[in-house]
Amino acid sequence: MYRFLRFPILLVGLFLAVSSFAANNPQPALTTEDALGPQVVQPIEFPHNRHAGLRNPADPTNSDPLKGGMEINCQYCHTYARRSAVAGIPPLQKCIGCHQSIESVRNKPRIVELFKYWDAKKAVPWKKVHDLPDFVRFNHERHIKRFVEQQDRPVQEACGYCHGDVKEMTVARRQKPLSMGWCATCHEKDHPVVAEGGTPIAGQAYWYSFQKPVAQDKSAVVKAKGPNDCWQCHK
Amino acid sequence: MSVSNLLENWSQVRHAHPVDDKPHDPYKWAMAIDLDACTGCNACSVACFAENNIPVVGKERFQHGQQMHWMRVERYWDEDGREFPDQGFQFLPMMCQHCEAAPCETVCPVAATNHTADGLNSQIYNRCIGSRYCSANCPFKVRYFNWYDYPTDEMVWPAEMTQQMNPDVSVRSKGVMEKCTFCVQRLSAAKVTAKGEGRIVREGEVQTACQQACPTGAISFGNLVNPESRVHKQWEAQQVDLVKDKQEKDESDEKAVLRGYRILEELRAYPSVMYLERVRESAV
Repeated sequence: MYRFLRFPILLVGLFLAVSSFAANNPQPALTTEDALGPQVVQPIEFPHNRHAGLRNPADPTNSDPLKGGMEINCQYCHTYARRSAVAGIPPLQKCIGCHQSIESVRNKPRIVELFKYWDAKKAVPWKKVHDLPDFVRFNHERHIKRFVEQQDRPVQEACGYCHGDVKEMTVARRQKPLSMGWCATCHEKDHPVVAEGGTPIAGQAYWYSFQKPVAQDKSAVVKAKGPNDCWQCHK
Repeated sequence: MSVSNLLENWSQVRHAHPVDDKPHDPYKWAMAIDLDACTGCNACSVACFAENNIPVVGKERFQHGQQMHWMRVERYWDEDGREFPDQGFQFLPMMCQHCEAAPCETVCPVAATNHTADGLNSQIYNRCIGSRYCSANCPFKVRYFNWYDYPTDEMVWPAEMTQQMNPDVSVRSKGVMEKCTFCVQRLSAAKVTAKGEGRIVREGEVQTACQQACPTGAISFGNLVNPESRVHKQWEAQQVDLVKDKQEKDESDEKAVLRGYRILEELRAYPSVMYLERVRESAV
């Protein structure tokens, strides 16, 4: 009896089970262990911490490589970030440009490896760590212009919004999910769009056109959200 | 964007432009096509194929109505009693009209097509579920559906041809709708350059592929908001107003040749493309 009802009841039951499960499980927190990218094996284990890390105050001559960094600006090597869509990987010339006159580390295995590429006149085949899908249009220049040039934030902080604390890493590893939802968490925030003195930060007026009314807090700082129309980032 | 966020902002997603509280500023991309200059050479269509990674579907699929040309040149034959060799035809390049109140936008079940701040009708391939409702509702029939997986299954671009593809444009897969984007990849590149220099995009700084390829310069494209732009001047001279569904033209000036019109204006879709009527006798 009622055999014909079995399958629909099963379906309804399944739906209820799945939907109750879904309702109790909101989206996972955005920065979890899962957000970590794969460990990318590079041809040379490049020590970001040694180059960009903070100096060790107890060691003014910076002689111990295990203890302090050189505080080199990210943009010294990743020089294209401020003027093009991609940050770029420095050419081998840039590495050699410094290292040919740093005799103290010349015989370290990684530097020997580096000079092998140089003598063979071959580029180091670095692997990509932060790889966005092909349908995404991301522009480094806009973000550097906004945060570093217009708002005068420290370079490592601005880069770190997406790349994590690279100065603590050796080989860089992806720290943030770099998913659309993650990008949107920042683009949905109210950011100040008027610099001190009331000058609008270049060309951001058009942000308003697709936005809710501009938020204005007690400090009378005009704020708006980042660009959020689909074609801003999607090809 | 979560579902709750989408529902909360539904009225925004369905925003019809232009409206008083949200004017187009500083950009409103628009086009003007002079049909008197158009020779129907199809260079625009070819340029569009090359720029936007559009698959060439072949004769058979074309006959099945599965063609993918974002830019097509329509032919209209005069019915004035003349026989074929002497019966000239008229050409009309037709692409997405980027309507301000686009009929396609209101019917998309997943809001995959919506309006950008600078007045473009955007199409998001990743969000599209292929219901094809937008195409059914488009009065200009300028939306094209991917019936096949052209890049992989159909091998439209064999290995040696992939190098000629435009990296700034997605290669669409099976089951998504696509259409003319007004070469949005060029627009955003120009906007980034301009924004970095603290100005808006200048007239002539950005061209669409069809405009660039047109040998007679029939197509002009630019920022309608900018009073210096050629498009703005043409629209103004022809007394075509973006926000009106019926143009009332002041014909008191006899010297002015008023031949600007928009297609199917009475449907109140407010297209962003103005055509200039042909004045000479049709080509023989």
